[in-house]
Formats: sequence, C-alpha cells, structure tokens
Amino acid sequence: MLKLIKNGKIIDNEQIWIQDNDTPITSNAIVPLARWHAEQEAIGKVAGIWIDAGEGTEQLEGVDLTQFAVIGINFPAFTDGRGFSYARLLRERFNYQGEIRALGYFIPDQQGYLLRVGFNAFQFNADVDLEKALLLHKSFSVAYQGDANDPRPMFLRR
Amino acid sequence: MYQYDAIDQQLVNERVAQFRDQTRRYLNQELSEQEFLPLRLQNGLYVQRYAPMLRIAIPYGMLSSDQLRTLAGITRRYDKGYGHFSTRQNLQLNWPKLEDVPDILAELAQVQMHATQTSGNCIRNTTTDQYAGVIADEVVDPRPYCELIRQWSTFHPEFAFLPRKFKIAVNATESSDRAAVQVHDIGLQIKKNDAGEIGFKVIVGGGLGRTPMVGLTINEFVPREDLLTYLDAIIRVYNQKGRRDNKYKARIKILVKAMGIDEFRKLVDAEWRHIRGKESTVPMSEFTRLQSFFTEPNYETLTDNPETLTAKLADSTGFARWFERNTFAHKKPGYRIVTLSLKKPGQAPGDATAEQMEKGADFADQYSFGELRVSHEQNLVLADVRQDQLVELWEAAKEAGFATPTLGLLTDMICCPGGDFCALANAKSIPIAQQIQETFNDLDYLYDLGDIDLNISGCMNACGHHHVGNIGILGVDKKGEEFYQISMGGSSGHDASIGKILGPSFAQEEISSVIQKLMDVYVSHRTDEERFIDTFRRIGMAPFKEAAYAKVN
Repeated sequence: MLKLIKNGKIIDNEQIWIQDNDTPITSNAIVPLARWHAEQEAIGKVAGIWIDAGEGTEQLEGVDLTQFAVIGINFPAFTDGRGFSYARLLRERFNYQGEIRALGYFIPDQQGYLLRVGFNAFQFNADVDLEKALLLHKSFSVAYQGDANDPRPMFLRR
Repeated sequence: MYQYDAIDQQLVNERVAQFRDQTRRYLNQELSEQEFLPLRLQNGLYVQRYAPMLRIAIPYGMLSSDQLRTLAGITRRYDKGYGHFSTRQNLQLNWPKLEDVPDILAELAQVQMHATQTSGNCIRNTTTDQYAGVIADEVVDPRPYCELIRQWSTFHPEFAFLPRKFKIAVNATESSDRAAVQVHDIGLQIKKNDAGEIGFKVIVGGGLGRTPMVGLTINEFVPREDLLTYLDAIIRVYNQKGRRDNKYKARIKILVKAMGIDEFRKLVDAEWRHIRGKESTVPMSEFTRLQSFFTEPNYETLTDNPETLTAKLADSTGFARWFERNTFAHKKPGYRIVTLSLKKPGQAPGDATAEQMEKGADFADQYSFGELRVSHEQNLVLADVRQDQLVELWEAAKEAGFATPTLGLLTDMICCPGGDFCALANAKSIPIAQQIQETFNDLDYLYDLGDIDLNISGCMNACGHHHVGNIGILGVDKKGEEFYQISMGGSSGHDASIGKILGPSFAQEEISSVIQKLMDVYVSHRTDEERFIDTFRRIGMAPFKEAAYAKVN
C-alpha cells in the first residue's frame, strides 16, 4: 500500500486519489472537485475531494465541508504556489478542520511552508523517499507572520 | 538602525542551517538541479556566466560600518576582492564558489545580514529613499515601515512561489521620489490624511523588464495599521490569478493591465474585507518598537555654513563642485548628506573594492555615526556629516576614489553587470559605461549639461533600468553581434515615464558619438533653466532622431 506523511508520521494511505472521470468512485475515494460537483448525488459519500491549481476555492462556497475527511490540493509543478493560498483559505475562510493533503509534484523542502498554510498531510510522488522527506518535515521554530496554526504575527508574541 | 533580537537571530541562523543542508544534498545529488534552483535563488544564489553570483540583502539600503567591513572581508576571502552594489540597494558577489555559500551566509548572520529572498519568485528586498530620516521634507521616516514589511515578507509561507518576482518600494517625500515607487510591483507613498493619521497611497502594477509600465493607484489611503492585511490581500489575489503559463507575462503588472485596475481593486477589496482588522493588524506598540530603532543620533547643536566650509567653497573649485553635486541638504543645521560616488572612471558603475568598503566603513565611523546607506543609483551615502568636517572628508574621499563629483550628471550612470558577468545578458554594458566616462571627461562640460539620468541594461530584463533613464541604453543581440538600442524621455521620479526608442540600434563603438549628438541637440534647443528631460519633453523626439541618424558627408 502507498504511504503518506500525515501529522509528522509515515502512515498507510487508505484513500484513492481519483484523477480522471472514468474510474469508479468508492467510499475511500478523493474525487476531482469538478466531478464531485457534477455527480455528487450519484457519487454519494466519499473520503474527500481535491482541488487542482487554477480551480480556486470559490466553488466550495455553500458546500458543507464537514462531509469530507480529506481535501486534497494538487501541485502540477512544485513552483506553482496557488495551492498555498487555497489551503490557507480552506482553514481561515472556510474553517475546514479536516485533513488537507498535498498531492502531485511538490518537494520535501516545501513542507515547512505547506504546514504553515494549513496542510497536514503529504502524498509525495512514488520516487520520494519518505524517511528522508520526514527529516525536512518542520518549519523554522519561529516565524514573523501569523499562519493557519497560529494567526498571531510575531508582533503579538514578542 | 534595526537591531536583531534573539528571535530575528534564531531565524537567520536556522536559515543558514537549512541552506547548508540543501547545498549538501545538491552536491550529493540527492537534490536535483531543477529542485535546488528555486531554493538557492531564494537565498540569492544564481548560476552565472563564469561562476555563481550571490546577491546579499541590504534591507532598504541601511548598513552599519561593521557590516560593511564584514562584506569587505567576505569579498576578499571568498571572491576577488570587490563587490557590485545594485539598483535595489543590494550587494552582488560575482565569483563565490557554490560550496562556500553556506559559510558566507553564516558569516553574514553574525552581523545580522542574510541573502534571503534576494532572488526567486517571491517578495524581494524592500527599498526606499537613501536619504530617509535625514531630509526636512519627508512625511515621516519610512524605515520603520520598511522593517515592518521586511519582517512580514521574510519567509512568508503563502507567497514563496508566486508567478514571478515581487518588488516593493517605499517613498515618504512629497517633493521627490528617489525610490521610484511608480515602477515597482507595489509602490507605497507614505502620507498623512486630513486628520493627521499616517497611511499609504498604494500603487500597483508598475515595473520595468520586457513590458515597462508605470503603476496605477489602487488605494489613495490605507491606514498604516492595515498595511499588512492590505498587502496580503493584493498578493493573495496575484498568487491565485497571475499568469503562470508564460514567465514574460507573469508579473502583476500584466494581471492588472489585463483585468483593469477597477476589477483588480474589486478583488483585492473583497479579499481585504475578510482579513482587515484581524490579527495581522499592526498595533501601535509595534510601530513604537520599530520607530525606537530609528531615533536621531546625538546631533550637536551647530549652525549652517561654518567658516571652514564657506572659505573652502570660495577658494577651491574642485571642492565647490563636489559640494554642489555630491552633497545634499540635511534636516539639521550644520549637517550635510554626503554621497560617496562609485562612478569613478575606469571602475564599473556600482563596483567597490574591499579596500573601498573598508575606507567607507572608516569614514562612517569617523564622520557619520557608524552608518551608511546604499542608493538606488549605486552609490554609498554618509547621511550625517558635520559641515565643518566636509573639507576633511572630501580630501579623504578623493584619496579613496569616492569623490568623483558627478552625482546626477551624465556619467553618474546606472549600469547592470551585463555580458561580462551575467548569463542572461545579450550584450556587455560595462564597456559602454567606460566609453561614455572616457568620452565625457570634461567636468566643465558635464556641469554645463546638468542633470541627466543615463541608464544601461545588457538585456531586456532591465536591471539597469534603461526604460526610466532620460537616456536609456539597451544591449540587444543582432545575429550574434552586440548592438545597442537607445531610448529617450524616461524618468523614475514623481513624474515617472517610460522612455521611447530613438530608432535602429547602434554598434558599440558608435555610442559615445551618438550621445554627443543628442547632447548637441539639447544644448542648441534648451532654454536657460531647462534640464535635459525638460527640453526633450518640450521639443520631442524628432530633432534628436534627425541628429542621431544624419548621414555623415
């Protein structure tokens, strides 16, 4: 079974990341946002949805996000930083409390920033050594800005 | 100036450790070239034509003498004994070894310096007026606000992978704009409203590069406590909506232009409504804390124009010239702002040797409370010099090669490193600067010509800001040969404008004679009080073009 890093531990990945419109949906599926929107009645209960870069979070207005255990955010390239804003909006604007999982092409060195904007799970591509990636699983011990974990900037904590 | 506390220090120390590990993994081939690239860029490290280039941050241009001495030592031990001060008030090393960079960063950290976010698609070093805090007509000292922005932008977790680089500049003076805020991704003009409250006029979408644009006002007055949430709102919109399919169309200026400023403003305001007033609102205590680092030094009670100064001004043309061009009025009686010119003929504009840096540091200790600034025009500034010590300083500065009395004149050029160093360049720029310096070496003539900004870039990335030079020179590649396109009419101040191209490009050896022809047109058309740019704006391009391309009989 594929593994992922979640909350600082390597665990089994029990969900299936559905990336097309044909694969049958099972209850442990993470479904493309657009497909979920189009077929949600037929799809029924799923583990979660995922947002692609460029889709934004606007389509989630009015959706009850507590029905999702996982919301995935895909990185088509590790230099494409749109997902950083999406995660932050999910936590701060939508008050989503479940798992936010990074999917696709991001790199272990980005975990520090990803954690700070609200991600707590990292499903790396298969070529990444998770034991080594785990060594980079932390941000700096101090930060100037507030973030998804502590909204207070340093000037409220100095 | 700002002093790190334990928190600031811990952060730069952790950054050094992080980069040391990243460099080790890159050299071990655990980290690919492609993945190391943005990581090293966000630590200021480029791979250049002959060697890596390391760009060290000098936040809003402020340097202590100890920091400058450390920089001198670094250039000596890790490089070839010189550095290049850039238009964004940073220092570039041209010859460091990649494997030495972690050690260089560790040495910088010991004097509260770093190379964080001096490159890459993130928020870059914030720049401001090199005369901040010492001129009479500024609204308030902009440096506490620059430091606020520095801390907010440093390791901002959401904005490290933007569509493209992002530059912020701050100006606090109504009479002039030495920070060129209208040609930055965000320009901030500090002002007071009718109630006397401090805030910012926010300009967005300016920039140079391939598609130069003067920015547009997005908000006439953002109260200072709301600055960070407003910046977050702008950049959050840009991070999500800016183009990522074409790096030449990825700057915020393209988004603002495509969307229109009104539509862009709507999105920013909608975003801002959610975050305005929340935790990132800056409390008065933080302004007070930051302002406490920029209090006035122990000025003596003095009077203007002491006898030693006036006597020398009457007596020495050389001194009088230097005083007129290279010094500037100070807000305190008996003091003067002095620019140490890095435009000595024979030296690349903005370059300083290790010896010059050490001399500059000594001058700062001796004459200016131990502090210096780096200017956008690539010179060093001593902000607090007693007028009765100007003669002594002038003598010493001459000796050190710092007293070229041409500030603001034709030969006080802005110039990028160009094809001699930079891998991006289409053409060399330093030899053009040298040619102009050699041709226009008659000080009387230069003084007669008066204020002229001449800016040189070796390619359309425009690091030499050629678009906003009264005369701009751009290196272009024509079938593998280096040619130079000349533009005219640019300006970077409150009257910012983008220059227009004169006509077909010229060969390297023609540049000085073309500039000479442009000067001749100016001299024959100018009225008594007109600067070059004024005459150009009045008579237009045509007479200049005619002269530049006239057939020689």
